[in-house]
Amino acid sequence: MNAPNDVRAMLVESATRLFADHVDAKCLENAKRDGWSPALWEVIEQAELPRISIAEDAGGAGGSLSDLAAVLRVAGRYAAPAPLAETALLANWMLAECGLALPRGPLAAGIADGLTLRRAADAWIVSGELHRVAWARMASRLVVLAEAEGEPHVLMVDPAACEITPGRNLASEPRDHVRLRDVHALAHARAPVGVDGSALRLRGALARSLLMAGAMERALELAVEYARQRVQFGRKIGAFQAVQQELARCGGEVAAAVAAALSAAGAVERGADACFAVAAAKIRTAEAAREVALIAHQVHGAIGVTEEYALHHSTMRLWSWREEYGNEAQWAIALGARLQREGADALWPNLTASDGN
Amino acid sequence: MFFEAVDFSALQLPPAALKLREEVRAFLREEVQAGTYEARLGHTEFNTAFTRKVAERGWIGMTWPRRYGGRERSYLERFVVTEEMLAAAAPCAAHWFGDRQTGPSLLRHGSEALKERYLPAIARGECFFALGMSEPNSGSDLASVRTRAERVPGGWRVTGQKVWTSWAHKAHAFFVLCRTAPDTGNRHEGLSQLVVPLDAPGVTIRPIRFMSGDHHFNEVFLDGVFVPDDRVVGEIGQGWQQVTSELALERSGPERFMTTFPLLVELIRRLGTHDNARAQEMVGRLTARFWTLRRMSLAIALVLDPGPDGAGGAAKATLDLGTEAALVKDMGTFYEREIVEAGRLLCDIEPDPDALDTFERYLAETIVASPISTIRGGTTQVLRTLIARRLLGPLK
Repeated sequence: MNAPNDVRAMLVESATRLFADHVDAKCLENAKRDGWSPALWEVIEQAELPRISIAEDAGGAGGSLSDLAAVLRVAGRYAAPAPLAETALLANWMLAECGLALPRGPLAAGIADGLTLRRAADAWIVSGELHRVAWARMASRLVVLAEAEGEPHVLMVDPAACEITPGRNLASEPRDHVRLRDVHALAHARAPVGVDGSALRLRGALARSLLMAGAMERALELAVEYARQRVQFGRKIGAFQAVQQELARCGGEVAAAVAAALSAAGAVERGADACFAVAAAKIRTAEAAREVALIAHQVHGAIGVTEEYALHHSTMRLWSWREEYGNEAQWAIALGARLQREGADALWPNLTASDGN
Repeated sequence: MFFEAVDFSALQLPPAALKLREEVRAFLREEVQAGTYEARLGHTEFNTAFTRKVAERGWIGMTWPRRYGGRERSYLERFVVTEEMLAAAAPCAAHWFGDRQTGPSLLRHGSEALKERYLPAIARGECFFALGMSEPNSGSDLASVRTRAERVPGGWRVTGQKVWTSWAHKAHAFFVLCRTAPDTGNRHEGLSQLVVPLDAPGVTIRPIRFMSGDHHFNEVFLDGVFVPDDRVVGEIGQGWQQVTSELALERSGPERFMTTFPLLVELIRRLGTHDNARAQEMVGRLTARFWTLRRMSLAIALVLDPGPDGAGGAAKATLDLGTEAALVKDMGTFYEREIVEAGRLLCDIEPDPDALDTFERYLAETIVASPISTIRGGTTQVLRTLIARRLLGPLK
């Protein structure tokens, strides 16, 4: 159970090759302009990556949530400009849990607190607004969770039937405003137990934690490589202890982020205390993101803040992703309030409760 | 980059460890109820009666072979015992070094006679060890030790001075790192480890009081102390390799991030049900950091786990995860201070070493102890240099 998983190692290796082959400087520059890389998406879809962790009889590619988590970490490392996390971890998960067919193409996912849902003849009709939906304008379908009469429903709509106002995050990834005016749902199901707003938010936070862990690995790799090459005062700057101490601290933060994000994926997969684990992971990865991004830039000096150098692809994403699905302060307040409610003597049992399930 | 062989998503404890946790918790609950020890933070108490009780339950030297008094249990089970003791602020000083450091070292490097002589006694909670590594001019730079052992018929005659020797005034024997051959240029050669009884003729122990007035540190003078050949640990001249592998082994345990944990528990108790977002945020962040450190520490314990065959696999694993262990120690020791900081900022009380309230007393104890953890067992700066070396590789 604790041994490294050979199947997963092969999956990570092939995902690493896929992203390394298809995400280069040009791809990332174009994605800033276009919002994504359609060519990369084609390759991702051909490799069935968006269907990992969905059972084969539900139209998925099989594999576990931890398998998908391992792939998302790699996607984050390469700053892959495509909606893999949204399609696989959020939209396809909702559809598969409801027994709905999985469409091809990139998917966007939204939690709609403000959506109204009504039934007319044999169709479900949705109205309302969604804010900062990731990749909405290039999605082939939009999968949303909406409440009607106090119960969650999963609906799939055609983004072409919605009014979409493009928006972006710091890294120019699409974060669009979506207005739905009496949009007919293409598919609908009452959400089963376990598929609701808080579960979707947890998975969103997990996705960002995993992507951040990967992005931090890349930022560290770049900083280490730079410190090995750059010469000042007649020496490689990596030879200076002041630089070494910062790199070591950066390495610790990255290791912590990876440990937290992957551990949370395991907790969600096992159905352990996912709230606790994901909150902890989002807090820890967001905290690490701050340190890692700034140390990586500091080591690089001025070259790191230019558009021509690769570091900003990672750091601009880190500065965006740490806020998405709740920043560390929001999650910490929620976690702290829960710990306070459960009382001092529950802290240690809580921390050790997920050891065996 | 780090933890490459570890699958964090699947990292779990085996059922035997979960069962053991319940046993340890029940034992500690009884001890607390019976008032057999006073919980203190900062440095753990030397309580021989408590140590005997722990020994009776088989929780000292528990990973060692049965023939040396051990129970042949896994490192993960030992991890569970250690973290439960720390969570309960239990007084483990008497068996701490023997259980954690000198015992495993004797097991790996010691002669059959040394193992038989000391290991069962350590496991019974009857023989207590201290460590003689640092010297007045050898702190972080351990290879510069000047304590010398001269060859004499049947053994060695040792002369020198050790400092910061915790509990030397209560322990039975200590490990002495000393020079058995002159420094020929390679400073890592010519060092050896000897077991020296603390009541041997020529040994003088003087207290070094901690700034709070507590006495656990000592300086130990060795004035021509005779050490017979059968008290040499491992090979003469191999002391450096032996000591560095011990250090790596001890770096990542729960004691590196848990010594102020009971203060966090008492902080939550003190906050009560008062709705305070600032406090909740601090508690949430501290808990998230703890959870992450524990996952990393567990990962190392898991890789160290030699399985049912004894200690054979441990040496190799130690080398592989030495940097990760340094990472956990570096981050863990800083983390411990964050709990102290949150406690003082949120509660706004003047630290009082005589406070009757548990939270207030813990706060006073941990503030005073706070400089220590980033110094002992490898300073922050030494650890970070080690970590950077692994990251950067050789610089041409």
